[in-house]
Amino acid sequence: MKPLAIVLAIVCFALAVAYWTGALQFGASHPGPHHLHAVLFAVLGVLALVWMRFAGARTT
Amino acid sequence: MTFLQAMALAILQGISELFPVSSLGHTVLIPALLRWPVDRSDPTFLAFVVALHLGTAIALVVFYRKDWIRIASGLVRSVITGKLDEPGARLGWLLVAGTIPLAIAGVFLQHPVRAMFGSSALVAGFLILNGLVMFFGERLRRVERGPGSPPPKDIEGLSFRSAATIGLSQAAALFPGISRSGASIVTGLLHDLTHDDAARFSFLLATPAIGAASVLEIPRLFVPEAHGILVESAIGAVVAGVTAYGSVAFLTRYFHTNDLRPFGWYCLIFGGVCLVLALTKVIA
Repeated sequence: MKPLAIVLAIVCFALAVAYWTGALQFGASHPGPHHLHAVLFAVLGVLALVWMRFAGARTT
Repeated sequence: MTFLQAMALAILQGISELFPVSSLGHTVLIPALLRWPVDRSDPTFLAFVVALHLGTAIALVVFYRKDWIRIASGLVRSVITGKLDEPGARLGWLLVAGTIPLAIAGVFLQHPVRAMFGSSALVAGFLILNGLVMFFGERLRRVERGPGSPPPKDIEGLSFRSAATIGLSQAAALFPGISRSGASIVTGLLHDLTHDDAARFSFLLATPAIGAASVLEIPRLFVPEAHGILVESAIGAVVAGVTAYGSVAFLTRYFHTNDLRPFGWYCLIFGGVCLVLALTKVIA
């Protein structure tokens, strides 16, 4: 599960950056940067890192 | 909007946000019934609504302060140790699991869904549906909890999948007229919680949902249009908070011994009356 959590965290942080800069417009109501979407994915990225922490603790 | 109308809306928000009757539906239907000049897209009104939500979220934190202290300390300790062996930590991560689906649905679906459903007739229709869902949930629960069924779970006994499902059910409240607390209590009941615990989990889930939505909207309080309604917003936040505190105190006692059916009847009757009035063009 730990590798999956790492991949998920990386994907979430990449999406956060893409939404923050306006490079990604998927699911957005207007063109331009989407800070709310970016914050959501940044938080999900942090949660994926926390999941990685739990997964790591279980296997060690 | 006059001062009295603003305070009436604050009381309405404080009550209907936690009672399973849809606060959003009521803030559409009541002003339409009373012919109040409320423009829901006006920056002044939006700032006022943000203040009401902040007041409600603070009331929930204060009411469940002991739980939130236990949850916060449990979450921090669990991240440090990497273990979920204390109830506060488990409850905290169940709430996180329940909040994620709503956050994703809220960010991606709120604008398109709200743009689709603005009329009183549709809101009244969803309020009727909300009542039917409560009756259906109670009926299904009675069938499932028949003789010989295992004892109900407590909140900490929920699986993370169940918590996420309960959280996802809250997204139904993006449709004005569907109650967030009603949907999550019904889903909690169908995941073997008691009425008591289903309501408590719903109210605990409401805190990050309402709180995060309010905090993200705080900049609306500082737009120039909001300056004219600063006093109403501040007093409205306090009124909504006090009313919400009273509502959650009442509901936690109510669900010790009662079920959702009275709220179901209320939604059917009020939604039915509003639907008839909307279809006959008495209300807009």
